[in-house]
Amino acid sequence: MKAAIKIESLSKTFRSRGGNEVEAVSRLDLTVEPGQVFGFLGSNGAGKTTTLKMACGLVMPTTGTVQLNGYDVSRQRGQAMQQIGAVLEGTRNVYWRMNAWQNLLYFGRIKGVSASSVLKARAEQLLRELDLWDRRKDPVGEFSRGMQQKVAIGAALISDPPIVLLDEPALGLDVQASRTVQEWIIQLAKERGKTVVLTTHQLDMAESLCDRVAIMSRGRLLTHRPTGELLDLFRREFYQVRLRGLVEAEKTGAFPGFTASQENGHTVLSGEVGEELSVFDLVERARLAGMDLISVTPAEPNLEEIFVEMIERAEETSAKDSGLEQGAGRVSAGVEIRG
Amino acid sequence: MVLTGTVLLNECQKRLIILWSYRFNFMLETFMIGFLFVGISFFVSGGRPAPEQMAPALLGYLTWFFAVFAISDMSQGIREETQTGTLEQMYMSPLPSGLLLAGRSVASLFISSGMVILIGGILMLLLGIRIPVRLEGVPVFALTITGLYGFAFFMGGATLVFKQVNALSNLLTNMLLFLNGSFLTVERMPGWMEAFARSLPSTQGIDVLRRVVLDNMSLASVWQDGSLVWLTVHTVVFLFAGWGVFLWGERVARRRGLLGQY
Repeated sequence: MKAAIKIESLSKTFRSRGGNEVEAVSRLDLTVEPGQVFGFLGSNGAGKTTTLKMACGLVMPTTGTVQLNGYDVSRQRGQAMQQIGAVLEGTRNVYWRMNAWQNLLYFGRIKGVSASSVLKARAEQLLRELDLWDRRKDPVGEFSRGMQQKVAIGAALISDPPIVLLDEPALGLDVQASRTVQEWIIQLAKERGKTVVLTTHQLDMAESLCDRVAIMSRGRLLTHRPTGELLDLFRREFYQVRLRGLVEAEKTGAFPGFTASQENGHTVLSGEVGEELSVFDLVERARLAGMDLISVTPAEPNLEEIFVEMIERAEETSAKDSGLEQGAGRVSAGVEIRG
Repeated sequence: MVLTGTVLLNECQKRLIILWSYRFNFMLETFMIGFLFVGISFFVSGGRPAPEQMAPALLGYLTWFFAVFAISDMSQGIREETQTGTLEQMYMSPLPSGLLLAGRSVASLFISSGMVILIGGILMLLLGIRIPVRLEGVPVFALTITGLYGFAFFMGGATLVFKQVNALSNLLTNMLLFLNGSFLTVERMPGWMEAFARSLPSTQGIDVLRRVVLDNMSLASVWQDGSLVWLTVHTVVFLFAGWGVFLWGERVARRRGLLGQY
């Protein structure tokens, strides 16, 4: 099956005003299969948005290619652009002085939907689905943030593209609006077979929506796996022991490596079990200490913990590498002096 | 052809909707532009403007208005669309950006023509100015406007790369009013200033328009005296240079990631 998005050796280097070169994306190779919800995760400046904009043809890569359903964004621009609809972060994306209906028709026409009846039917369908039909004649500037985001999503989908790129789709939305957008994303992928690529800082959202995630740091791809596989990879023998009442600090010392917290008047010990301390040891120690055991449950890792750990590891590696480079620099400088 | 028509109508419709949403500002601006002409005419004529003297000034002034509209549409308009992200959406269109830009320019010309007819009509009625309608003026007008849009493309391309071009475009449009020969005769300017004024986008067009429309000269005679030839050269240079700068701006903006950055 043809990949929905195929990114090969993609790099982007920007030159700052001072003349310094900043590598925003470095030798990225990635494939997104059709019908997947794919999440790009990373801290600010990781290169997520730059990658997305290169896929949209808005930023020219320094090296490498992006193909959308087999069409090269640089060489077959027209066909490639017919494959995508995008909502980009930090901007309005639509005209606030125009109403929702006018925006959808306008963007439909510039995206090449020329048959008026098809365009109007599609605009009506989208506005009804987005629950905006009754307010279609109100200027978008008068809408709430969530409704404005819905109009932007509607405009991105007006040409019925097979690939939808969403840059921080729930940023700044209240809980209800964010939930609506998330439900929509699921519907787009699962019911309509669209490929959805999103960038987000909301890791719980990525965990619940994405079939696959890619974690980026400083322009490099740290990992690229199915979400479940990534969670399994980081799944450890991590347990939570719930004890009745508030247990004194001296007694919790019987569980080395475990941290104690209080929850609804009970004590919760959290930690990793291993060769030194098994689950049975936990139960036995609680019994010997006369503690009233309520439950022992395995704690599931979440994407947030994995993300933080991966970023920390990447930064440690990067610090080590730069230390080595500096060291190498000092040695070579010494050689030069001696020479 | 159908596609070009659709793009054109789409842009016109968008511009009219947005213009209508700013109708109060639009009416004030229209009044201000009319008032400015009356004020400058009184000042230049020493307080006694005669309708026959005001006709050439009005012709130049209305041409200047086209320039203001075209330049502001390409520089200020592009800057605003960069800020709102609609420019990025435009560049994600499968249609060629040149076609969308052409549609945008024709929409701008259509709306500015409406405003010129309105302002010009009111001023002619109120001040008793008469500008005859001569078909021979149409090709001259078309050449003048094409050159103006070439210059506007130049400003648009510069805006894509240098986001602070707005101040320069304001300066240029104000300079055009006084240097394009609308109110002050170019021949009476010092040599260096005359040379500079003649190199500006609308000066030559206004000069030839006046000869053809107001002085009843034929196209053959203005061609023979070289003024129409010079206007044609001027237009071609501005159009191609402007288009080239716009394409350059687009390329640089894509390379530096400036299409959505302000």
